[in-house]
Amino acid sequence: MMTENSENDQIILATGGYDHTIKLWQTHTGICSRTMQHAESQVNGLEISPDKDLLAAASYQHIYMYDLHSNNPSAIVNYEGTSKNVTSVGFQEDGKWMYSGGEDCRARIWDLRSRNNQCPKIFEVQAPINCVSLHPNQVELFVGDQNGIIYRWDLRTDNNEQLIPENDAMILDIDISPDSQLMASVNNKGKCYIWSLVSGSNDTPTKMIPKQKFEAHKRHALKCKFSPDSNLLITTSADQSAKIWDTSDFSLVQELIQENQRWVWDAAFSADAQYVFTASSDGYAKLWNVKKGVMEREYAGHQKAVIALAFRDAS
Amino acid sequence: MSLYDNKYWLLSHIRNSFISTDDTGMCELIMVGESKDAKQHLRSAEPYPEPEGSEDEEDEFELFDMHQDMDFSIRERSNTAAQLEKLEHARKKTSKMKHVKWETKDPVQEFEDIFVKKDITQLKDTQKRTSTLAALLQTHSNVPRNPFIEYAKFDGSGQVNIPTKKYKIYLTMLPQEQRNYPMQVCCVASAKVQDLIGLVLLKHSYNHGITNLKSPSQYGLYITEEDGEVDRDFPCLDAGEPISKFGFTSLGLVEHKEAKAVNFQDASRNSLVMEGPGRTRTISDKSKAEESRQMENDLQAVEDHNKQMEAPLYRAFRAVMVSKVKPKIEVTIGISGERVEIDPVPQKGSKLLPFKAKAISHPVDSIASCEMIDTRSSRTGFRIVYCTAAGGNASGDPGILNSPSTSSAHKTTAFKHYYFESDYPTALDIVQKINLILELKSSATRSEYIASREKKMVIKKVFNIVK
Repeated sequence: MMTENSENDQIILATGGYDHTIKLWQTHTGICSRTMQHAESQVNGLEISPDKDLLAAASYQHIYMYDLHSNNPSAIVNYEGTSKNVTSVGFQEDGKWMYSGGEDCRARIWDLRSRNNQCPKIFEVQAPINCVSLHPNQVELFVGDQNGIIYRWDLRTDNNEQLIPENDAMILDIDISPDSQLMASVNNKGKCYIWSLVSGSNDTPTKMIPKQKFEAHKRHALKCKFSPDSNLLITTSADQSAKIWDTSDFSLVQELIQENQRWVWDAAFSADAQYVFTASSDGYAKLWNVKKGVMEREYAGHQKAVIALAFRDAS
Repeated sequence: MSLYDNKYWLLSHIRNSFISTDDTGMCELIMVGESKDAKQHLRSAEPYPEPEGSEDEEDEFELFDMHQDMDFSIRERSNTAAQLEKLEHARKKTSKMKHVKWETKDPVQEFEDIFVKKDITQLKDTQKRTSTLAALLQTHSNVPRNPFIEYAKFDGSGQVNIPTKKYKIYLTMLPQEQRNYPMQVCCVASAKVQDLIGLVLLKHSYNHGITNLKSPSQYGLYITEEDGEVDRDFPCLDAGEPISKFGFTSLGLVEHKEAKAVNFQDASRNSLVMEGPGRTRTISDKSKAEESRQMENDLQAVEDHNKQMEAPLYRAFRAVMVSKVKPKIEVTIGISGERVEIDPVPQKGSKLLPFKAKAISHPVDSIASCEMIDTRSSRTGFRIVYCTAAGGNASGDPGILNSPSTSSAHKTTAFKHYYFESDYPTALDIVQKINLILELKSSATRSEYIASREKKMVIKKVFNIVK
């Protein structure tokens, strides 16, 4: 029993959305273990720090950090200085720095090592930023904006490279497979674009070679995420579904549909890619069995739409 | 200032300063029209306005000001206090929070140590990934879906920016020993009574499982005392009404009597009932037995209570009065909260008796005790001890009828007794009734009698020891 508990402690599922709360869940029972107050704005994005100590919540003008170990319902760190919504947040794999992107058209690097943010770095684009994704090599950020442009921003040289997969479409999400072979991007027309990534040695930048384009959804595609083994890709959409694709040929593996679940905003795979969590506008987070395509757990308690989730499995 | 002798000017001055120092803006809204009046007076400037008229005006103004004071300044102050408290709270909260401001600095710094390119060729591990989540789910694979999960969204704990209400819910379906502590439930204020019931059941199911629970429509919330006693004089709260309509914070969750488990029509809930019908049955049987036992106890309690309530009411009993010197006389003993009356029942040939039995009446205050003496198979003897001195206005002639009690001499007060015989139930009733009345009245006679008796006991003991 004790070991089970301690194991369970390491599994973190956090959800947030429009009801100004962030909830942590006991994954196998569906019981909400903790509610944190996020009074000032909705939660745009959630990310768990690499050491599992902190939870970062991207919100309006701020990034708030919550302590995952204490029972403190309020944030312990407040990153301020952005003028608009922060839409995306993430961590460098050692927790040295944090990146964010926002509607103020800027992607930022926040230094987490020292007290006074020694090394701020900023990257400005022409349109509000919807998503930021870090390449596994930890030195290249991929930024997607509302003009439909994907930027590859090299953090060491500050050089950037632009891609425009489709005209008059917003880039809504970008993800890079953990094995760094593929990059996926979804837009507001439901299209999914896939690139093969060729990593250069040392100082040569990563090359992006268009690989595939397919219609993943009929309406907005909101998120795309590779499984930890890079074999699956999940896309979520405003068409009230999430779809799982095989990354070898991008054939449809599974469709996760529930009546009246409304927009499916976010998703996260378990470490072995057997299960996937989704967050949707019906106020529920859900756990699905990938193979069977059935829902196995429901996480109920949010008053309004759940639009962000963060999950960290233990192995 | 020469203008200070002009009351209208003064009034206007005070008003203006009042308005300009008021942060809420409320004064301005209300007083702006009035100050115009004052200004008009100021302008029309009769050097010596009619005293009566001006006084009237003044009075009106004063009244108005008083009203203003009563209605707004208090609220304004509390608003300010609340505001201050809020600010203080926010300050406390933020002082605990670390703030990191974005500073645009010259980014001419070396990043060698912070932006290090990771060699991703080493990433291509082929090891099998394991998931604790998957393992956990496998061990908890057939957890049935909680039928109350839909009510989770009414949970108000941890919610901000929306009104919530807190309740103490006493769960009557719990075993007796667990009932004493209410479940603390925080619920969003917009929830209906039905939703609160569902939420309570959901929370209950977290701790006790879902086996014994029925659908929320089978339960009612009743107004309950702070000690958890359900007040059944009132009907349960209407399930369709919003919970915020009711002001009660202590509520009892009671299962409706007529409710049967059959009412599970919802497909999702069917599985629940199917799971353990045997178990549910045994538990319900047990609870039924418990319930009937409880009922019996209740009935007993009610009867006792009734007896106590009725004790001071008049009731007559038949008994036979026995004395050493005279023949047995059949009497009626009438007992009420005020008196004890002993009336001889007229008998044939009573006239032939050498002495006449008279009716006796003692005020209850003079009655000291009533107790059973001996219980034989045929007759039960009991005696009523009374006091001749204390209020000893016994009508009739006790001297004829009774024999003096053996321990009569106690200063002025003498205790005497009547001895009666009757059948056991009557005797029991009489003794109980009189004792109840005595308990209620707790007269001086009684306490004196008890004291004297105790003394006697002591003496007896001493005597025994000596012997």
